[in-house]
Amino acid sequence: MLSLLLDLLHDAFFSAIPALGFAILFNVPQRYLGYCALAGALGHSFRTLLMHFNMPIEWATFAAAALVGVITIQFAKRHLAPPLMYAVAAIIPMVPGTYAFNTVIALIQLTAQSQVSPELSALVIVNGLKTVFILGALAVGLALPSLLYYRNRPII
Amino acid sequence: MYADNQNDITRLVVRSAQLLLAYGADSDLVEELSQRLGKALGLASVELSISSNALVLTSLVHGRCITTTRRIRAHGINMMVVCELQRLCLLTEKGVYGANEVRRRLARIKPKTYPAKIVIPIIGISCASFCHLFGGDLMACVLTFLASSIGMAVRLYFAKRHYNLLVNFAITAFVTNVVAQIGYIFPITDTPQVTLAASVLMLVPGFPLINAISDMVKGHINVGISRWGNASLLTLASVIGITIAMQLGGIF
Repeated sequence: MLSLLLDLLHDAFFSAIPALGFAILFNVPQRYLGYCALAGALGHSFRTLLMHFNMPIEWATFAAAALVGVITIQFAKRHLAPPLMYAVAAIIPMVPGTYAFNTVIALIQLTAQSQVSPELSALVIVNGLKTVFILGALAVGLALPSLLYYRNRPII
Repeated sequence: MYADNQNDITRLVVRSAQLLLAYGADSDLVEELSQRLGKALGLASVELSISSNALVLTSLVHGRCITTTRRIRAHGINMMVVCELQRLCLLTEKGVYGANEVRRRLARIKPKTYPAKIVIPIIGISCASFCHLFGGDLMACVLTFLASSIGMAVRLYFAKRHYNLLVNFAITAFVTNVVAQIGYIFPITDTPQVTLAASVLMLVPGFPLINAISDMVKGHINVGISRWGNASLLTLASVIGITIAMQLGGIF
């Protein structure tokens, strides 16, 4: 139990850094940078927690993105700023970068060979599908509060 | 409301919509904010048609329509501008600002960016912590930091000189990947492949991708598709850079 907690804290710390870094890259005003980092840390560690209980990565990402969506709408209401400003920086740690990278590398290796090898094709398909579905889960999860709750009224 | 007055207000509204789109707001936000701003300034209704690089806006008062078109040139993502415009709209709605104040505030909006000496190291540290999250060892993280800092410096250098974004991404990916391959040449790390994957993550077009899907989900299909195409092209450009670097380095 304690080790799980430590794992989550470790995870939260190391996902807060990229969230902060990309918030700076997107020129988020200085006074909101901390909130981006906080939302990023909460989202990624929530996903790690769900995956610890053997949830598949796509569904865990979906739930974590929905959590980030709800949190960032609260931030947005408090500061009168657009919610997507916090949310995009916050979900950057969850973007399936390695899956996308592996897909592309396997594709290039496929091109370099003269015949189609089943192992490489399997790598392309598995990693490519993961990439697409995780990205979809992120974006739809993020939009979930405004699709379900804020249907015909503005958030702020 | 007199005709020249309507002209004036329509110009203010279309200017704010243009700024919002140029600095990376999603279509739903643009539509909502310009309609609210227009109504707060006294227009009866504001209708927008947004496409990937232009914007058509019609304002209606007392049965009189004014339609105007603006070209949109993407300026990269700047949330300070979007934030400022959101605040402007809310304060106008509350009656704090009138048309004159809105005009003055709009003229004063300048896209401020963080200085390179902050952005470069923080992106390096971000990619290093990606490397750590993916299970790289300490030296792999240090290498990632080095590679992505150099890559980010290259990216800012080319962006400052207004190179095409695709060319910029390809060159950045190439340089980053070449530096990250140090791990294969010298046996200082056991996980050189994690360095390769983590160091190019700063090139993932996260904002265009999320904006694309969020636009498509909320009904702005054409803008969403064009943003998606843009993001895919950027990814493809970085892939070309990575491929050239890896084939030169002989890692296959």
